[in-house]
Amino acid sequence: MIDRKPTGGEAAAKAFMYFVLALLTLLIAVPVAWVFMASVKENSEFYGNPWALPKGIHFQNFVDAWTKARMGDYFMTSIIITAVALAILLVVALPAAYVLSRYKFIGSKALNTGFMAGLFINVNYIVVPIFLMFVTADKFLKGIFGSGFFLNNPFVVSLVLASTTLPFTIYLLSGYFATLPKDYEEAAYVDGAGYFTTMVRIIMPMAKPSIVTVILFNFLSYWNEYIISMTMLTDADGPRTLPVGLLNLMKAQNAKAEYGQMYAGLVMVMIPVLILYICVQKKLTQGMTLGGLKG
Amino acid sequence: MKKALSIILAAGMLLTALAGCGSTSSSTPASTAGSASAPAAEGDYAGQTLKVAAIETAYGTQMWEDVVAAFEAKTGATVELTMDKNLEDVIDPSMKAGDFPDVVHLAVGREKAMPETLIKENALEDLTDVLSMNVLGEDVTVGEKIIGGFTGNTTTNPYGDDRVFLMPMFYSPCGLFYDAGLFETKGWEVPETWDDMWALAETAAAEDISLFAYPTAGYLDAFTYAMMAEAGGQDMFNRALNYEEGIWETPEMTQMFDVLTKLASYTEPSVPSNANGDNFTKNQQLILDDKALFMPNGTWVVGEMADAPRAETFKWGFMALPALEEGGDRYSYTFFEQCWVPAGAENKELAKVFISYLYSDEAADIFAASSAVQPIAGMTDALSEENQLFYAVYDDGAKAAIGTFAATDPVEGVNIKDAMCFTMDSVVSGTKTQADWVAAVTAASDALRAALK
Amino acid sequence: MQKNKARSRFIVACVAPAVILSIIFLVIPTFNVFRMSLFKWGGYSPNKEFVGLNNFITLFHDAKFFQSVRNSILLIVVVTVITIGFALVFAAILTREKLKGQNFFRVIFYIPNILSVVVISAIFSAIYDSNYGMLNSILSIFRGGDAEPIYWLGDQKIVIYSIVGAMVWQAIGYYMVMYMASMSSISESLYESANLEGASRIRQFFSITIPLIWTNIRTTLTFFIISNINMSFLFVKAMTNGGPDGATEVFLSYMYKQAYTNSTYGYGMAIGVVVFSFSFALSAIVNAVTKREPLEF
Repeated sequence: MIDRKPTGGEAAAKAFMYFVLALLTLLIAVPVAWVFMASVKENSEFYGNPWALPKGIHFQNFVDAWTKARMGDYFMTSIIITAVALAILLVVALPAAYVLSRYKFIGSKALNTGFMAGLFINVNYIVVPIFLMFVTADKFLKGIFGSGFFLNNPFVVSLVLASTTLPFTIYLLSGYFATLPKDYEEAAYVDGAGYFTTMVRIIMPMAKPSIVTVILFNFLSYWNEYIISMTMLTDADGPRTLPVGLLNLMKAQNAKAEYGQMYAGLVMVMIPVLILYICVQKKLTQGMTLGGLKG
Repeated sequence: MKKALSIILAAGMLLTALAGCGSTSSSTPASTAGSASAPAAEGDYAGQTLKVAAIETAYGTQMWEDVVAAFEAKTGATVELTMDKNLEDVIDPSMKAGDFPDVVHLAVGREKAMPETLIKENALEDLTDVLSMNVLGEDVTVGEKIIGGFTGNTTTNPYGDDRVFLMPMFYSPCGLFYDAGLFETKGWEVPETWDDMWALAETAAAEDISLFAYPTAGYLDAFTYAMMAEAGGQDMFNRALNYEEGIWETPEMTQMFDVLTKLASYTEPSVPSNANGDNFTKNQQLILDDKALFMPNGTWVVGEMADAPRAETFKWGFMALPALEEGGDRYSYTFFEQCWVPAGAENKELAKVFISYLYSDEAADIFAASSAVQPIAGMTDALSEENQLFYAVYDDGAKAAIGTFAATDPVEGVNIKDAMCFTMDSVVSGTKTQADWVAAVTAASDALRAALK
Repeated sequence: MQKNKARSRFIVACVAPAVILSIIFLVIPTFNVFRMSLFKWGGYSPNKEFVGLNNFITLFHDAKFFQSVRNSILLIVVVTVITIGFALVFAAILTREKLKGQNFFRVIFYIPNILSVVVISAIFSAIYDSNYGMLNSILSIFRGGDAEPIYWLGDQKIVIYSIVGAMVWQAIGYYMVMYMASMSSISESLYESANLEGASRIRQFFSITIPLIWTNIRTTLTFFIISNINMSFLFVKAMTNGGPDGATEVFLSYMYKQAYTNSTYGYGMAIGVVVFSFSFALSAIVNAVTKREPLEF
């Protein structure tokens, strides 16, 4: 280490850095805290200054949102959809990414390019074609079995969500797998392990940090997603996800707005992601370091 | 051995993926919202099912549930009622899929423009014969019960002929809402002409009160419709609604744009900032807080703002648009909601019976109890005093303007409402001038004229 | 031979599910978008009329479409430059300077990225409120209490930058954490020798840090462009819905309006095709322009 004597300029620079960092922290923490504060306000308090402190703590908002606005049901649906989608994604994407990044075979180049191109497909415009596809399939099934299957089915939503995030996930994981030395597998083969055992026992454990990153990223996008779930879950009394329920709570024109319930709903959407994030935040940086998006 | 394992794994993965979808077909609850109260099967339509979709507005959901229950009791049919504040989002996907509700209660002029789309697509059922049907359980025809003028206008007869495609439902006069209490305390006269308005604008400005506010520019549609009628009379209004060539440069329409532009200059400057779906109540709050004097709106605003804090002496006031000159005609646009039957509906016959029932005294009374007024003579008597004030506007001499822009084939990238109303945001903030405005409306009008049905 | 067969089976078993799902839910729908862009169809009726490239020809004469193109490009350029610039600086400060609470800042800065756009739009309508908003209240300290408020969401010259603000707020932490990760792998000895030569911090930043994580920056740029097109739509839809008077209309919000509220579904899909090709082309250009020999020390 070089001996750097702290000079006046040095100290000033440090102080300035702290100041800027603190400012940015405030800019982020205050608005987020504000949402929590607003969620305990009474409905009539939402018309004036949004930054006024609440007059009392009105927990009824949460009770109303949970039962009257059916946020409780939506919460469960969101959890199911997110969990199933993550499961499907991992089961499908991990082996595919592993093989695509570490094996050369006929068509491997084409497939890699294909998945790369998939990154450019935007969910917002393919959602209706997917929906129309389900409609046709449902009509056909109704003709045979008397009931449809694809629409208003949370598990189908999970499948669609998992599929649309495949390109990004495979890209992310391949980047990591490619950095591992070949020696690991060769050693395993010498020991007589098969391809499958090698993948599950040797490679996957090493990929843990990057799997955590994938889980977090996709958890966020599934949990906050509303375009697909709004389109595929059309039954007002059937399953719906939390963000879709929230959008319905947001005042539709000509109807009285339930602001209290809405902000309580916003808090309900936020809490699970905050908890998950705090749990995995250490691993997240690790995952990025080890492979993540390293070019 | 290893080989076999990898094959099993692959199969296993596929199975998990499939099982993921397979196990739940039974967990999707059936939609039976309104049918819980279905009576034992008897009556003429016993065993039939009718799918009704209705928008949930400030009137609430209770009245529809009651009307549906009464209809079920009368006919023995089962009604599946879907209600939602964002009804389009709920029914649109299945409609694209070809699964249509039988009766939809959803008005034109909303952002998603669903009925307009169906009109453009020729996908609505012709309801002209409903007018000559007897109201269910009564000896009068539907046509006889509906107040004159509510059918036969460009809204109900979108193709400009005698065929009725949208049935008029709850109506309310649109005009300018203000704080009557403020006018009393200040001793100001409520203006009767636009000249009075401009004079008042200066008086109010001295007290830091703006003359005008609007919730979102979309609310200006009723306002501009009434202004067109005021400037040019009902006949010219109709010609404008049919995009007549050159009409926007006539002296009458120029007069209308003059008023609009002047009004823009007197608009509370923060209005465009909040003129979106998230924040428009802030603009309505300006009236309650006495920061702006007038806003165009409909009678639902009273219920919509029921929880909002307000100035101490606040009292809702309502008037038709001021006249262009002393003693001139004053107009109030009649906003009415509509119900309609998609051409793809399965049970059209029962749908028409249901619609006829909506005009029965029984149903109308249920609606009126929630302040929703059917266009039937004498209905307003049942209303609360505050609501009667609004409906009295026509008794006080204001003329009613009815109609909407005529239906056309879809034209890519052209929307007359955007040009007519939303340009206001730009004029208020000073990015566009009156000339730009006229040009935008003319361009849209020209494009649509070519596509008229 | 035996081994080869096992290898092929393994490869097929691993890749097939991903390929099948992608074909069903990505390739076929995208193909349908391209196909529908050649039709005139409202969305409900069975009558679809084949119009060839007509939708595209109309598109190139549509002033409102060009407004949305301008806004989208502005958002891509400005948001990218600001976000990546700030993210790099903050990442460098947090990795290079021995500051206390480094971990705390890293955790806090990432939070906006995990929030739903619905939450963010509620937050920013409270920040941008012209009468009571946080921003105007803070600014009034400097501008005096009587100054005309700034209409963040109402003034057409400002509103697009208000969207920029919200988007930068949301994205900055994500990219910062990413750059921190790659910066921390740069060997300390490089900085030590630079210190010996008397190079200033700023100089070190440009001649050591940036070149060494250049590949990482390139990758994030490509991703930024793709996600920016999507995010700007979500932000605009939640915050202004394209208003006032089209001042914040972007690619996908205009596509939505045309496809779903103007009864011109085919036209909307034509916009979808243009957006797809645009983001593809832009990424290719960015990739080509930023190509450098990877630096190794």
